[in-house]
Amino acid sequence: MQTAQSIENAHAQGHSGVEHPHEETFLTKYIFSQDHKMISKQFLITGMLWAIIGGFLSILFRLQLGWPNETFPFLESILGKWAEGGKISQEFYNALITMHGTILVFFVLTGGLSGTFANFLIPYQIGARDMASPFVNMLSYWFFFSASMVLLFSFFIQTGPASGGWTAYPPLNGMRNTAINLGSGLGFDLWILAMALFIISVLLGGLNYVATVLNLRTKGMNMMKMPLTIWALMFTAIIGLLSFPALLAGVVLLEFDRLLDTSFYLNNIVINGHLLGYKGGSPILFQHLFWFLGHPEVYIIIIPAMGIVSEVLSVHSRKPIFGYKAMVFSIMTILILSFLVWAHHMFVTGLNPNLGAVFALFTLLIAIPSAIKVFNWIGTLWRGKIRLTSAALFAIGFVSMFISGGLTGIILGNSTLDIQLHDTMFVVAHFHIVMGVAAFFGMFAGVYHWFPRMYGRFMNETLGQIHFYITLIGAYCIFFPMHFMTGLPRRYYSYANFDTFNNFDHLASFISISAIVVFIGQLIFVVNFFYSIFKGRKLEGVKHEDGYEYANPWEANSLEWTAPIDRLHGNWPGEIPTVHRWGYDYNVNGREFTPQNEPIRPGEVVNG
Amino acid sequence: MIAFLSFVVMVLLFAVLVLTARANELSRVLKTDKLDFTNQSRINGYLMLVCLILLFAGAAYSFKELLPLMLPKAASEHGVRTDKLFDINMIIIGIAFFFTQIGLFYFAFRYNESRVDEPYFYPHNNTLEIVWTTIPALVLTGLIVMGMIEWFRIFNVDARDKNMMVIEVTGKQFNWIIRYPGKDGKFGERIIDTAHITPVNELGINWEDPKSHDDFMSDKLYLVKGHPVLMKLGAQDVIHSFFLPHFRVKMDCVPGIPTEFYFKPTVTTKEMQKYLSKQPWWQTNNPETGEPRWKTFKYELACAELCGKSHYGMEREVVVVTQQEYDDWVNQQTAMYESMKPKNTEEPKAAEESVKVENKAQAMLIKK
Repeated sequence: MQTAQSIENAHAQGHSGVEHPHEETFLTKYIFSQDHKMISKQFLITGMLWAIIGGFLSILFRLQLGWPNETFPFLESILGKWAEGGKISQEFYNALITMHGTILVFFVLTGGLSGTFANFLIPYQIGARDMASPFVNMLSYWFFFSASMVLLFSFFIQTGPASGGWTAYPPLNGMRNTAINLGSGLGFDLWILAMALFIISVLLGGLNYVATVLNLRTKGMNMMKMPLTIWALMFTAIIGLLSFPALLAGVVLLEFDRLLDTSFYLNNIVINGHLLGYKGGSPILFQHLFWFLGHPEVYIIIIPAMGIVSEVLSVHSRKPIFGYKAMVFSIMTILILSFLVWAHHMFVTGLNPNLGAVFALFTLLIAIPSAIKVFNWIGTLWRGKIRLTSAALFAIGFVSMFISGGLTGIILGNSTLDIQLHDTMFVVAHFHIVMGVAAFFGMFAGVYHWFPRMYGRFMNETLGQIHFYITLIGAYCIFFPMHFMTGLPRRYYSYANFDTFNNFDHLASFISISAIVVFIGQLIFVVNFFYSIFKGRKLEGVKHEDGYEYANPWEANSLEWTAPIDRLHGNWPGEIPTVHRWGYDYNVNGREFTPQNEPIRPGEVVNG
Repeated sequence: MIAFLSFVVMVLLFAVLVLTARANELSRVLKTDKLDFTNQSRINGYLMLVCLILLFAGAAYSFKELLPLMLPKAASEHGVRTDKLFDINMIIIGIAFFFTQIGLFYFAFRYNESRVDEPYFYPHNNTLEIVWTTIPALVLTGLIVMGMIEWFRIFNVDARDKNMMVIEVTGKQFNWIIRYPGKDGKFGERIIDTAHITPVNELGINWEDPKSHDDFMSDKLYLVKGHPVLMKLGAQDVIHSFFLPHFRVKMDCVPGIPTEFYFKPTVTTKEMQKYLSKQPWWQTNNPETGEPRWKTFKYELACAELCGKSHYGMEREVVVVTQQEYDDWVNQQTAMYESMKPKNTEEPKAAEESVKVENKAQAMLIKK
């Protein structure tokens, strides 16, 4: 392979290609790779495996919710004692929802989404040969991998995985007592260990992303010439760096309470009429620490998707993104506000009403930059010449989901209305649409769009479009009607004990069926992905005089397409490109598109 | 076996799908030598319109079928007002939903490459940006102001009725302890130490306090129509959340931290049954009792914070009655003092113990 002969020292920034050919073994190329492209694929594939597991868990508990009176004998054969007689046990139901949340929020939509695209796009799009520290980057993946293994392992222990909710509230999770909650034993210790490893991974990765964007931009690439993906990924990394440490502190103190009988979060606990010795702690303190991460976390999930969608919509509309500066400043506003809204998850914890009012105010303020972004995306489509490929469809689907889910946030952010809606299925519907489904749509848009860059082959378009329609319609079928379960508390194993909540039986089955269809629909994507890696249609390129083939399949302006089809270590065989213009010169100055590395010609209108 | 067969069928279907898609892709490449998506864009453009229509049709159908079930009729004073606020919010976000989704899907259809010759280079427009920043900002200001006026009305301690009832509800796995102050209207003191908290006296009530002598417990939560009530909330073991869906009341019960919620019930259980007897869904028969659903309607108390394996089972009936009915009910109750106290004859000794464990270090030792 040409790749092996032209590996370049990643630190030879800016210099013309001084080649250091050396043999790469399977181990250094595919396992302990320090190449940002390989690491990004590692994140992507690990994230996909987690998504399949996490999605499958949701199918299991949807079976219980959709048909609470039925038994499914096959469940016993796969779950054993957790589903005796084909019925999921109450404890395991709680474990399922807990692990579904943990896996999807952290391991798929943070590790999988940010990890994949930050690694893949940052060096390519800013014109760098690799990350600021490829070694730390490799560590970031392997901490993520270790976290994954620890979490996976927790499924196979006697008392089962953590089962006190992904929010891990003490005292339910605050005592190492399986009588209170089966998953609060070893399962939760492992959960904390997995989180700690995961947070280390996020911090190592995040430092690298920020350092790379700030320091390794190629000549001419000033900040306001960066594609929106890079802005989004950098802001995401900053949010992660500032907020994840709070969670780490939070869970470490929680483990102290559990192992050393300290009382950070516990006070006057009475179990079966016996007062335990914990004095003076506050369960609410944990909620503050948790949500200080927990809320920015939803922006960590959605902002990369926003960046990807901005780029994909612009490229496929053959039109610049509408309001580039407004897009940058709106993400920046979201970044700042995301740190001032965490207590809107705690309106009914007995929080001081004055404080509640402040948090409600900031929460509703976030709707303004979000609205700006939506209008700008729609403005980008207006009078474009839109190529409705799978990537563009998913980007459009993202905007649709973001609107639908974002609007209900206006209701939930209003503390007065939250009294009734807090911890009900309305909340579940809201956040699944706005950060779950929408973020997945962003991720899919990114994978379909950059797959040729990743593997030198296309994904199958027909399958991609089938995948899109199943997912769009299916996801709406799951979550739109769920909003009407306004009074139903979430995390219920069954609603049969309540007369008030028993009028949604048919709807619950309908939602479960839709969920199963959507899950199977995602397998189309998985098959398409792995099939296309090996058998997808090859990207046809033009051979340049340096002997490499180059291709720009979507006729995009950003720098990743100025590198050869072969994924070289160091990205460009010769000098790294110099940037002369912003990334959105589509259909201007008489040219369909103008890559960022083309010099401004006399008489051109300069944009951006 | 069936599971295995369906698995095989699924795999085969997948294979067929993949191969067809592959063939489709190849034939497209044969027809056009360059990457040409015009045909697909045309088809997907129409499908975008279909999606838009499906979305609105589905939304309309959901509203028609599910709106009557969405929120039960509010049975508290503030509940009626917050429902109104909820409706206003829903209408406003409904309008935003309608127009933005139309813009999105219609533009995706109208400006797909098969219908456009030349795209319009239009990088920004500051006037537009200002307009669509200002309008949401104004609307949101209106919503937040309305919300905050109501919020401070609900939690205004100064405006509370001096004659309000006080009821103490303590959550525990997986039950609610409902304590009424009795005729004197005052609760007996609770002392949190190992001497007072016992399996019999979980709350740690100090029986020496005469105010405790007429306190009673109840399985059902009795409230009085038109009589404001302050719920004093707490929890024994883990966090629970006191949720009265019909009264729009929710407040967490946190171990070690007291919380409260003040509200005024406005509809008795009987009046609610009468109202529901006219609602279509409630006229249908309940398969379990064979009677129309409204006849067995009851208000309920639920737990809204995950508290362990039987979180979903923490149901208690809530009964709203008139003052007269309530007084009669109170007269029938037996004070806890009567039922619990006689068993515990060694009262002085208990008091001694409470002195012993006063300091925290000792309390820790006792726990061990």
